[in-house]
Amino acid sequence: MDLLLTLNTLMLLTLATLLTPIIFPMLSDNLKNTPTTITNTVKTAFLISLLPMTIFIYSGSESLISLWEWKYIMNFKIPISLKMDFYSLTFFPIALFVSWSILQFATWYMASDPHITKFFTYLLLFLIAMLILIAANNLFILFIGWEGVGIMSFLLISWWHGRAEANTAALQAVLYNRVGDVGLILCMAWLASSMNTWEIQQLTSPHQTPTLPLLGLILAATGKSAQFGLHPWLPAAMEGPTPVSALLHSSTMVVAGIFLLIRTHPLLSTNQTALTLCLCLGALSTLFAATCALTQNDIKKIIAFSTSSQLGLMMVTIGLNLPQLAFLHISTHAFFKAMLFLCSGSIIHSLNGEQDIRKMGGLQKMLPTTTSCLTIGNLALMGTPFLAGFYSKDQIIESLSTSYLNTWALVLTLLATSFTAVYTIRMTVLVQAGFVRIPPLTPMNENNPAVTSPITRLALGSITAGFFITSYILPTKTPPMTMPMPIKLTALIVTILGIAIALELSKLTQTLILTKQTHFSNFSASLGYFNPLTHRLTSTSLLAGGQNIASHLIDLSWYKLIGPEGLASSQQTASKLATTLHSGSIKAYLSSFALSILIILTSTY
Amino acid sequence: SEMSKDMLPGPYPRTPEERAAAAKKYNMRVEDYQPYPDDGLGYGDYPMLPNKSQYERDPWYQWDQPDMRHNWGEPMHWDFDMYIRNRVDTSPTVVPWHTMRKHFLIFFSTMLIMFGLGAIYPSYRPVGPKQYPFNDLYLEKGGDPNKKPPTVIHYEI
Repeated sequence: MDLLLTLNTLMLLTLATLLTPIIFPMLSDNLKNTPTTITNTVKTAFLISLLPMTIFIYSGSESLISLWEWKYIMNFKIPISLKMDFYSLTFFPIALFVSWSILQFATWYMASDPHITKFFTYLLLFLIAMLILIAANNLFILFIGWEGVGIMSFLLISWWHGRAEANTAALQAVLYNRVGDVGLILCMAWLASSMNTWEIQQLTSPHQTPTLPLLGLILAATGKSAQFGLHPWLPAAMEGPTPVSALLHSSTMVVAGIFLLIRTHPLLSTNQTALTLCLCLGALSTLFAATCALTQNDIKKIIAFSTSSQLGLMMVTIGLNLPQLAFLHISTHAFFKAMLFLCSGSIIHSLNGEQDIRKMGGLQKMLPTTTSCLTIGNLALMGTPFLAGFYSKDQIIESLSTSYLNTWALVLTLLATSFTAVYTIRMTVLVQAGFVRIPPLTPMNENNPAVTSPITRLALGSITAGFFITSYILPTKTPPMTMPMPIKLTALIVTILGIAIALELSKLTQTLILTKQTHFSNFSASLGYFNPLTHRLTSTSLLAGGQNIASHLIDLSWYKLIGPEGLASSQQTASKLATTLHSGSIKAYLSSFALSILIILTSTY
Repeated sequence: SEMSKDMLPGPYPRTPEERAAAAKKYNMRVEDYQPYPDDGLGYGDYPMLPNKSQYERDPWYQWDQPDMRHNWGEPMHWDFDMYIRNRVDTSPTVVPWHTMRKHFLIFFSTMLIMFGLGAIYPSYRPVGPKQYPFNDLYLEKGGDPNKKPPTVIHYEI
């Protein structure tokens, strides 16, 4: 049996299955989509995509197919090429599994929405764009997927478009992503001019790659994956419905930037400056996001900052020249982060829209499945040994501790790991444990299987995914095998310290002492003052300046200064200068005669 | 029906009567009316309203246009499209502006300085110089085979 043919066919079949709910209603008159049909489509696509992954695991066969070629100019052709290697073959089933669970959850969460089918169609379009991005072998096709996920993110964040904050958040997402896109286009332009190709397999350079295109790639990843500097859109994106946050802003879209860096890592690995920049940027992002998450009171914002922090950790892994480990973290992170968002969605809906953790408590008895899965997700996030997060996170911290790298980056990442434990425990204690702070008459229940089965499925994934992926896939680089015992246990020690601090702090809050407003608490609660400083300054100056230039200055300059008034004022200055000479004194006139004769004589000399 | 000529903005008001007429045209009190200074930028007699965004207006009041928090007949700011709720927010911050800027710059500069220090003093596992056998590869490095090589011992007893 020709394995490669089967591999290619099945992957194309997966993509085709996902396109059916979009194409078939256009071709027929009475075929309409429903949320259930779209969920079942994604489930079918997931089951089909398991087969290519199994073929890859047992035979190691990768493939690269080129479907059609856009003969742009004579020597630069852009084929539609898809690469079925380890990354795309493994991420397809994971993304489809997570999407299937989220779509099933969304049938309950968005049940009261009048345009629920349009919502599901948007999610499906997003998924297709994301899978195009993952499978792309060509930077052009990747860019198509990149823009696709950006636009769908905009449409989905502003789903409740009557709300001004949602529109602002969607605008923020689009603008920050656009800034990142400039970097990607810069890199594509450089590649087209120097290597005459956009194909990923041709992106190797024997010598050191110049830093400028790599800076462009890093800018693209900063924009899409919310690293420090272009990060505010990710917490703001929580204005969208919870299924959107679970799919886009935790598992799939935000990892697109990191995935780009993984795909182009042959270019990055030759340039140590770019790698160090990735490392430092990732370390700063992970600490900054973890600091901001410490004082948040909205459950979705805590999980959003947690996502941002983990993305920083993935960037740190890229900076250590370990792209496969970054991909492993992407895969395991998708499971438990999506599950955390779904649990939070279930809690929010049960409490009739309450998102503030100060008004939740003691939910362990009232929503047992949800809160148990929340605990499992939080434990996986903290890197509890042998859950999913452990396999990737612990390996990253081990590699960090045993490499030659910037000391401050190491310190920041370890600090961020302990902060992860702190805000996770804080969230768990305030949501699940302790006294009940919800309104008394809340008819909450978990009876709907559309709620419990996705969450339990993802819980199973977050327990076993790390184990399965590491057992079946061999690492491409030798992991560090020997290290002293304290270094090996660094992640665990740091996490336990974080848990201890968190429990101590929660004891403080339960004794009902008002926390004092210190500089640090204000800094953390206001997200580092980054948002007001940058948003107000840049938008005021650009908008007001643009308005002034476009309406006032252009009128002023073209109609007045260059035209009539400018001419008139220059004439006036000239004539004012000339009238000083018309004084009437003979001496002045004689001196002007003599001067002009002198000048004529000397000029002809 | 279109706006008549006298409802449109006009030239800069020079006399008090012109100011009063302009204030009436813009539906403002004469005391509140303050045109933009006449420095050639072409504002005319349009009133200079305070640069406050729509965020600062009461969200619970029953405005005529709730999304823009604006009543019918109220004079609109020249840059009103900048001050809607999807754009610039000028509402007072909890922490004063100079404190925010100072704290952020302290944070950012500390990070940059510490990253610089971390690059000067990187962290790595303990390493030693590489040890070669055969008296530090004396013959391979072109040493004289007839002469006795200097003994190199890599251990201490």
